[in-house]
Amino acid sequence: MPAPRVIRRREGWLLIAPLAAFLVLWLGFPFLTDVVYSVSQVGFTTLRQPRLSGFGHYAAVLRDAAFWHAMGFSFRYAAVETVVQVAAGLALAVALAPILSRHRFLLAFILLPLMIAPALNGLMYRLMLNDFVGIIPAYLGMLSLSPDLLSTGWVFVTVAAIDAVQNTPFTLLLVLAALQAIPGELRDAARVDGASAWQEFRRVVLPLLLPVLGIAGLVRFIDSFRVFDHIYVLTGGGPGNETTGISIYIYKAFFQQQQLGLAVAASMILLLLSLAALSLLMHRSLRGAVA
Amino acid sequence: MSVRLAARGLAFAAAACLTLAAGRARADVTLLFWPGPESQAMQKVIDAFNAGPGKTDGFAVKQLLFSRTGYFDKELADLAAGSKDFDLALVTTYTLGRYVPFLSPVGDYVSAAAQQAYAPAALDSLKSDGALYGVPTDISVHFLYYRTDLIDRLLKDAAWQKEYAAIAKARLGETMTPKPPADWHWDDYVATSLFFTKSLNQASPVRYGTVLQLKNLIFNVMLWDDTLVADGGNWLTAAGKPEIDSAPTMKAVRTYLTIIQDHATPPGSIDYEFPEANQAFGSGQVATMLQWNAAYAIVNDPKQMPMTAGHVGIAPMPAGPAGHKTHLHSLGIGLNKASSHKQQAGMFLTYLATEPAMEIYAKAGGTPPMPAVLQGMAATHPDFALVAKEAAQDGYVIRGGTASTAMAIYTLLAEKLSAIWSGQVFPADGLKSVQQGMASVLKP
Repeated sequence: MPAPRVIRRREGWLLIAPLAAFLVLWLGFPFLTDVVYSVSQVGFTTLRQPRLSGFGHYAAVLRDAAFWHAMGFSFRYAAVETVVQVAAGLALAVALAPILSRHRFLLAFILLPLMIAPALNGLMYRLMLNDFVGIIPAYLGMLSLSPDLLSTGWVFVTVAAIDAVQNTPFTLLLVLAALQAIPGELRDAARVDGASAWQEFRRVVLPLLLPVLGIAGLVRFIDSFRVFDHIYVLTGGGPGNETTGISIYIYKAFFQQQQLGLAVAASMILLLLSLAALSLLMHRSLRGAVA
Repeated sequence: MSVRLAARGLAFAAAACLTLAAGRARADVTLLFWPGPESQAMQKVIDAFNAGPGKTDGFAVKQLLFSRTGYFDKELADLAAGSKDFDLALVTTYTLGRYVPFLSPVGDYVSAAAQQAYAPAALDSLKSDGALYGVPTDISVHFLYYRTDLIDRLLKDAAWQKEYAAIAKARLGETMTPKPPADWHWDDYVATSLFFTKSLNQASPVRYGTVLQLKNLIFNVMLWDDTLVADGGNWLTAAGKPEIDSAPTMKAVRTYLTIIQDHATPPGSIDYEFPEANQAFGSGQVATMLQWNAAYAIVNDPKQMPMTAGHVGIAPMPAGPAGHKTHLHSLGIGLNKASSHKQQAGMFLTYLATEPAMEIYAKAGGTPPMPAVLQGMAATHPDFALVAKEAAQDGYVIRGGTASTAMAIYTLLAEKLSAIWSGQVFPADGLKSVQQGMASVLKP
């Protein structure tokens, strides 16, 4: 019956029109500007008169060792953060679920790190890691340990740990909600059939948690890949370029080196790589859903 | 009822609009600034202006504060966008080149007589192509800070002097005798730092001989530049070509590396900037410090740093073959080209460029580049006398330090020097990389 379907489609367009207009204005215009800037000679004095110059900026970015170093850092950082935060979030959710179900107010305390602005978090750790007044070196000193936590050998671990402490509660929250949604009858049935606690977790709980773990992992990967705030405040991307990820690379190229075209070209390359990866993921997950 | 409510609402809205319009019609002037001691001091000047000349002329000045992190980048973005949200803005020597295209010269608002009151270096550091683009309000130089109790003992104690000579011979290859800090060369600074490092000298009453600021940060490059220029080096030749990959530069790098590799600076120094260095010195566990003049009020304050207050000495930065040298830059107030209140903003600038205004500023915690004001307050501010002397004699602006490429070069140096300090790259490779990077930045 064709008539009702046509009406539904028109209504659908009308319903998404306001959001579409908003997105076109706030995302579309800046995106077009970025495309133009990425192929133009442009500076802060010529923001409104960019001069088209071809794809030289893209070639310069792809030739720049600093760009690949930044991408490498971002990938490593995101991979480590994803694994650590998903695993820790899962473990904490499973361990704390019985307590949290009885004392829900405790969840507010667990989520506190998420409430701190990442830049402020970086500032806080500048104080906590200080050799003379920081509590972290003080406690390590009591154990006769004195690693230089911001030196070349340790700085990656330090900034990663700071991120993990702040953002693991996000994964915990998602997993906790998913745990609570698992029907109790399934777990009861497993126990009745003689499954041990580990078998119950591995064969019943974990498979049901996989979709939410996947989503949490994807969100954390994206967020960690574009990390900026706490690293820039704490180390400035140093020592050297040891903790310079792709966001800091683009920021410095744009504002401090005033290479606007090159910075925008780098962000466009990042966008294309992200779109390719996301398309692949979506294609595989949709294929899995259809199957 | 609803009609009455609507009428009240309309009346309120009309009153609000009229108030806003009155403010705009009054042409109030907005100064974009960063929070901290400078803006707190500036507020006192603004209060005096608003109560005096501003009241007479029928307008007021107010501050709009951006956070210090990324401040210059945010200001650049707003100036480039032609923002009319502020009329005046903070400018500095090292960012002037970037901002000049978006600023109006302010020479017309600072009379020749008023300009006489300034240290010439301060005015020159805010000029571009001969035109003045900022009214100087603060001058920043570097001091050598030292513990007077420790150095006094070193200059008198024969046993200490014997150990000092032995350490200098072992680590620097020559027998040395302690000198008063005002007479130090860079080798004396290194030798004293090594002497007061407990891992090298068990008899040292402190853990570290000095504290260096080694974070990947442009202000730390400005501190290191003092060793470079004192050793006869510079960023650029007189012809404007990079000369960073040179013998004086390597000597300046080795000065720092000797201190780092002999653990004469705290291990966390790799991430230190202004506050961390103050904290280290103020802990009472560090004998000397290379630091900005603004730190004096902090490390000598009994409330903030009880371990060091009353035992803090200041001297010019150590000398090299080219003498004592200190980086000098000015903070100032520039005029936004897009401002709609240029006349009123200019009137505030004229007021600002006077000794009475700068006295208010200095009493509130600022360090104005007016020798007469600084000397007049030397009794209550012992650091002011040294600031005035340094500004007149030892201050330099590094070649290329006010150009539009200055920030790009500072950023490049900050990253590469940080890589050298942390051992990520060899010094020769790091300096070669800087030279290439500078050549690329300076390419027309």
